[in-house]
Amino acid sequence: MAAKKVTSVGIASLSGGGNYRSQQIAQAAIPILEQEATQAQNANIQSVSGTSYTSAGFQLLLRDVLKKVGIK
Amino acid sequence: MSTASNDPSTLTRLHHREEVMGTVVTFDVYNQGGISPEEFLPFLQEAVAVLHHADKVFSTWKSNSPLSQLRRGEISLGEAPPEVAEVLELCALAKSQTNGWFDPWALPGGVDPTGYVKGWSAQLSLACLVNAPVTGAIINAAGDIASFGGLDPATPFRVGITDPLASPALSCAMELRGAVATSGINERGEHLVNPFTGEASTRVASASVTGPDLGRCDAWATALAVGGDEVLGLVERTSGYEALVIGADGLRQWTSHFPLIELEVSN
Repeated sequence: MAAKKVTSVGIASLSGGGNYRSQQIAQAAIPILEQEATQAQNANIQSVSGTSYTSAGFQLLLRDVLKKVGIK
Repeated sequence: MSTASNDPSTLTRLHHREEVMGTVVTFDVYNQGGISPEEFLPFLQEAVAVLHHADKVFSTWKSNSPLSQLRRGEISLGEAPPEVAEVLELCALAKSQTNGWFDPWALPGGVDPTGYVKGWSAQLSLACLVNAPVTGAIINAAGDIASFGGLDPATPFRVGITDPLASPALSCAMELRGAVATSGINERGEHLVNPFTGEASTRVASASVTGPDLGRCDAWATALAVGGDEVLGLVERTSGYEALVIGADGLRQWTSHFPLIELEVSN
C-alpha cells in the first residue's frame, strides 16, 4: 500500500455529440477528480461511514477527516 | 492533461459526486495501471440514473412521487411502480429479522421506507459498475457505503467510522468487504425513535453494521441504534453480518468478527 502512488487524473476532452446528461456528469467530475486523488494516499482509508449527513456536512467530513488519519 | 498510466505500481482513482436524494452520493473507483475516464463514464451514467430513479419513485419530499401518493392514499400499492412493493416486502422482512426494532410502519405520516431505500438503491447502483474495468468501487451515500473489490485484488478497502460524540473525528476504521451502514445521533444531535415507545432512543450514540447488502445493513444499523444489546445479539447470530456499537458513554462493543482497525491520529 505504502509503495503505491495515487495519481490524479482528468478528462482531456469529451468526444463531441455526447448527450446533455453525460456532459453534465463529466463537467461535475473533472474538478473533484483532481482535488481529491492525493488525499486518499495520505489517509490510508478510502471512505468514511457515519450517521446520516447533510450534503454540506458530509463533504466537510470527508475533506477534514481523510487528511488527518493514519493506521496503526 | 494526461489520463491513465501504464505503470503497474500506479493506483488510479476516479471520483465523482452526485447530488441526489437530498444529499450527496460519492463514487470512487480504483484500478492498477490506470483507468480511462471516458471508458468509465457510461457505467457511471447508468449507476447515477439508478439513484435518480429511486429518488423519483420514493421521495417523501416530492409530493408527486408514487410513494407520497401512496402515503396519502391516492394510489394503491398495485398502482405504484413495482419497486415500491419490492422495497416494502424487503422492509417487512427486515422488520421481522430485527424483532420489530426496524419498523418503517411505526413512523409518523404513514409507512416511510426512506431508511431502507437509500441503501437499497446504492446497492443497485453499485451493480451497474461490476463490469467496469476497475479493481474496486465504493459508493458512499452520505455515510452509508456499498462496495466491491478493493485497491487491488489482494488489498481490501479500509473505511473510517466517525466518532458520534466528537464528529467529525473518527472513532476507528474497518476493513471493508461489501457494505457498511451507520445509524444514530445525526449531525444536528437528533436521536432515532424507538418504534415500541415512540420516544427518542438515547443509549446508543451510533451503530455500524457491515455485510453483503447495504439495504439490509441500513435496516440492521437503524434497529441496533434503537434496540442496543438485544439487537447486537441478533446480529451476532446473523450469518454474513457484523456490527459495532458506540454507546452514549463512548464505550464500544462489537460482534466477534467485526473487522475493526484501531487508528493512530497524526495530529
